Amino acid sequence: MKHSDDLRHLADCPSCRQRFAENVVPFDATRRHEGALKFAAAAARLESERSETMDVAARLRDTPQSEWPRLAESKALRNNAALEQLSNEVRKRLERNPAEALSIANLAASIAESISDTYPPLVIAQIRSTALRDRANALRYLGKLDEAYDAIETAESRLNEFPAAVHDRAIIWFVKAMILAQMDHFDEAERMINAASLIFADVNDSARFLQAGVIHGNLFGRQKRYTEAENLFGDLLKIAVSSGDVETEARLHNNLGYCYVNLGDYTKANIHFSQSIAKFTDLGFAAELARTGRGAGAVLIGKGQFELGCERLRQVRTAFEKLQMPEEAGLCALRIIEAMVERGKTDEARDLATTVVSEFTAAALDTRAIDAVIRLRTSLDADGATAEAVRTVHALVQSLALDESRAS
Amino acid sequence: MFAGPAFHPSSEIQPPIAPPCDVDDLAFGELYEGNLSLLVAIAVRKFQVPEVDAEGLAHEVFLSYLKRKNEIRQLHPWLIGAICHACRYFWRQNGRRTDQLDQELAMLRPDPDSINIFDLLPSQLAVREVLEALPPRYAQILRMRYYDGYTIREIADYLGVTAKYTQKLVGKCLRMAEQMYNAAPARKKT
Repeated sequence: MKHSDDLRHLADCPSCRQRFAENVVPFDATRRHEGALKFAAAAARLESERSETMDVAARLRDTPQSEWPRLAESKALRNNAALEQLSNEVRKRLERNPAEALSIANLAASIAESISDTYPPLVIAQIRSTALRDRANALRYLGKLDEAYDAIETAESRLNEFPAAVHDRAIIWFVKAMILAQMDHFDEAERMINAASLIFADVNDSARFLQAGVIHGNLFGRQKRYTEAENLFGDLLKIAVSSGDVETEARLHNNLGYCYVNLGDYTKANIHFSQSIAKFTDLGFAAELARTGRGAGAVLIGKGQFELGCERLRQVRTAFEKLQMPEEAGLCALRIIEAMVERGKTDEARDLATTVVSEFTAAALDTRAIDAVIRLRTSLDADGATAEAVRTVHALVQSLALDESRAS
Repeated sequence: MFAGPAFHPSSEIQPPIAPPCDVDDLAFGELYEGNLSLLVAIAVRKFQVPEVDAEGLAHEVFLSYLKRKNEIRQLHPWLIGAICHACRYFWRQNGRRTDQLDQELAMLRPDPDSINIFDLLPSQLAVREVLEALPPRYAQILRMRYYDGYTIREIADYLGVTAKYTQKLVGKCLRMAEQMYNAAPARKKT
């Protein structure tokens, strides 16, 4: 091994760390000892709170949602460990119930802003910025992007006075990048995600480094920069494989498939979609598997491979039906109907629309969704439906599905 | 063409998958004392952060570690990465806080560098030329010794070598600089 003062080498080599640290700075031994004592005291406090704090998830379950704001007064929740648990509860709900996630994030932010100042100032700043970051994320999921941006800016500002809050700041930049991307501010989002990635790499946080890479690749994709996206996803795939992160591997294969379809290389696209489906199958992520399949089918149709795409979408539709996800199955059907309308296959489209109406009615879905599909069928009967009209119905059903999950 | 589904999103930001590095609760004090010198040394030697500020930054890096402890897989890469970025952030903040120059005052006071400029300029240009031609490490050592005014001891600390070796190194750099100066075609003729 070649010994050096290179920082990467220092991270791995104890003897070089010792040599590097020797004879450089004359320390005040008393001050150093005081620092160690303060650090140990803060550590002991945080650790003891983590081991003693109640089960916050149970407390939330036992309290009606309308009364959650009152929990801010509960002494048992007014500490770092309880707030860490609240943060986990927010994360768990983001995908399936962002409105509930926002309620919890609001509760956490309210506690964090008035929490005891007996913690070291840096720890208080971390607590507050984390609560605000969770709030920003929940708002992002709800599509309240301006509010989300304000919240993430405030979260970042809580850390301004603390250069050493490096990792926390990077996570905030990551969330900020996602918000900016949703606001179509691609350049700024890219700058943020680059800065965050650099830190994730330097602190050896490979999981977040990969996540940031996926977000960056998606940014390229949204700007139709498919070659850059393909290069980035390819690099990330190697890292995901070497670090054994199968879930990210599956997502990356899907994204690579999408890149290759847009670059016109259907053979490679097919290979990657197949890999993605195989990985999601191994993981048992049935819904992700179906969504990947829907993506593959829809893109194939978009690229003119009508029969192949429709066949894929029909398979996926069956998968969603088995998963008892009638809205997702209906959305697949609407994609097929759209393709049929574009190719003048109105009779087949009308039959499928009738089936969707029956399925939605049987599942007692939102009447607005059912009415929209009925109106579509009526238009098809009169040969007046356009692909654009189908897209509108698709968007409506999708938004109602999201609203329902948020309201539950 | 209808709008096909976009890329698969990343799952929501999650802590790392691998188990965190194992730090016993009672070992926090030792962790601090055992690594403080390293972090301060990195801040001072690699980023030229003043010693007092470097100690403050290192202390904060340890505190910020406490909140992320359960996600950190390897302690030393994390600590080193954190102190490096903390130093960069420190300089970005510090740079912004630099007081702006008072233009009127600046007009009244002559720039010390421009005194005797016509006498000194040819020599300065020749030295610059030689420094630029030297290998970067040699040029840096000479700059530290003769431009920045560091002592042999300080340069030794910076390089992480002994003072005796540094003395030899400075002599070697000077000899090489002299050879280059004499070998320059324009001066050969004079």
